[in-house]
Amino acid sequence: MSPLDAGTLLLLLGWGTLVALDLVSVPQAMYARPVAAGTVAGLICGDLMTGLQLGVLLELFALDVLPVGAARYPDHGPATVAAVAAAAGAPWPERMGSAVLLAMLLAVLGGWSLQRLRHLNAQALHGRAAALAAGSLPGLRALQWGGLGRDAIRGLLLTALGLAGALLLRAFPPLALRLQGLLAAAAIGCGLAAVAGGAARSAGRGPRLRWLIAGLAAGLLIALSVG
Amino acid sequence: MSAPGRVHAFLRLFAIQGDWNYERMLGIGMGYAAEPLLDELRARDPVRHAAAVVRSAEFFNCNPNLAGLALGALARAERDGAPGEQVSRLRAALCGPLGAIGDRLFWAGVVPALSALAIAAVALGAGAWAVAGFLLVYNALRIGTSWWSLRTGLHEGLQVGGAVGRSWLPRAAERVGPVAGFAVGLAVPLAGRWLLRGLAPSAMVLAVFLAAGGVALSRWGGTHYSAVRYALVVLILLVAGGMVML
Repeated sequence: MSPLDAGTLLLLLGWGTLVALDLVSVPQAMYARPVAAGTVAGLICGDLMTGLQLGVLLELFALDVLPVGAARYPDHGPATVAAVAAAAGAPWPERMGSAVLLAMLLAVLGGWSLQRLRHLNAQALHGRAAALAAGSLPGLRALQWGGLGRDAIRGLLLTALGLAGALLLRAFPPLALRLQGLLAAAAIGCGLAAVAGGAARSAGRGPRLRWLIAGLAAGLLIALSVG
Repeated sequence: MSAPGRVHAFLRLFAIQGDWNYERMLGIGMGYAAEPLLDELRARDPVRHAAAVVRSAEFFNCNPNLAGLALGALARAERDGAPGEQVSRLRAALCGPLGAIGDRLFWAGVVPALSALAIAAVALGAGAWAVAGFLLVYNALRIGTSWWSLRTGLHEGLQVGGAVGRSWLPRAAERVGPVAGFAVGLAVPLAGRWLLRGLAPSAMVLAVFLAAGGVALSRWGGTHYSAVRYALVVLILLVAGGMVML
């Protein structure tokens, strides 16, 4: 496993920050989805396949989440970038399980940080209440840009923390090689549980459930036929 | 309203959640996006303009991809001189329907459908092209919907509620659910097969066991269960167990 150079780390830091902003603030173009964030992170690290594999695996967890309004949900984007940084360059499935563990911890922290951000935005609102009540356009612009700036800082800090964790994992893998396969399998099992459990829950008992079962059957047939 | 004003407002819709907070939710983003649409009012009626700016930043919440409907309708109502109370009532009335339809259409429909199709395509060997396709299709749908929303809102003004009911939105929200169900169902076995390839049989058995256990917990585990918590507990226990064995 070759070390990640400073240029790669800087690019990952920038990408993680953009990904964090995309989740809620701007532009919600869905590149915060793990499958997209991980693919680009893999490209940056020069290991597209690891980016795709971790992106797909973490996307299974993200499919369980409805990012609706005031609900608290994990922030999988910067977490995926850090996970790819932790595992890039290592043969599959070495480092995959520990990278997913890092991603889960960061995703939870990211969800918490999003709530803190929303409270900070409310505090800023109180600070400009008089200007807003007077219809001040500069006050309105300052609030909007302040919110974006705070979210960018949140994304930057979250990604920096994640990259520090990734560097630690690269330097000191937590498990012997023979156990890494089991850890990766456990992460995959949990990911499949997340997507299947979430899909069954959201399907209810209506037509969506019938289509879910039809999709499962079709997927199984294809999986078996392609060997 | 001027064409540049519409374009600026449309672009600002992409940052409608830029100052999301627990008090006004999308309110500040809506006010910021409304600024170019209310600009004409400033020269014509400065008092009304100031009142409109205050109203434009009040509490608002809906799916961000449909916020253009409310933004356009409210700006049109302000331009047409509708009473302030009526504008505020319309604003409050639009939150629920635009949130419900938009969340069903995008968060529970389009996004999981396209994401699952991308997963299935990656698992079948499409590589990064599948991810590029996901982003392109989603953003084409989303940008088209946002532009349509703003235009419809500006055209309909106070009548926007009826226009939404007659539009393609409720039908699309209803139809996309089964598509998302099918796509997610399709993706699960394909992703499992692709991710587990090359692992030892014992590892595959562990993955299937944990997947089944997680699904059972999500069904009967009550409100304390979440997929992330389950993964954290399992992975931490495995790492701790592995360290002890070493």
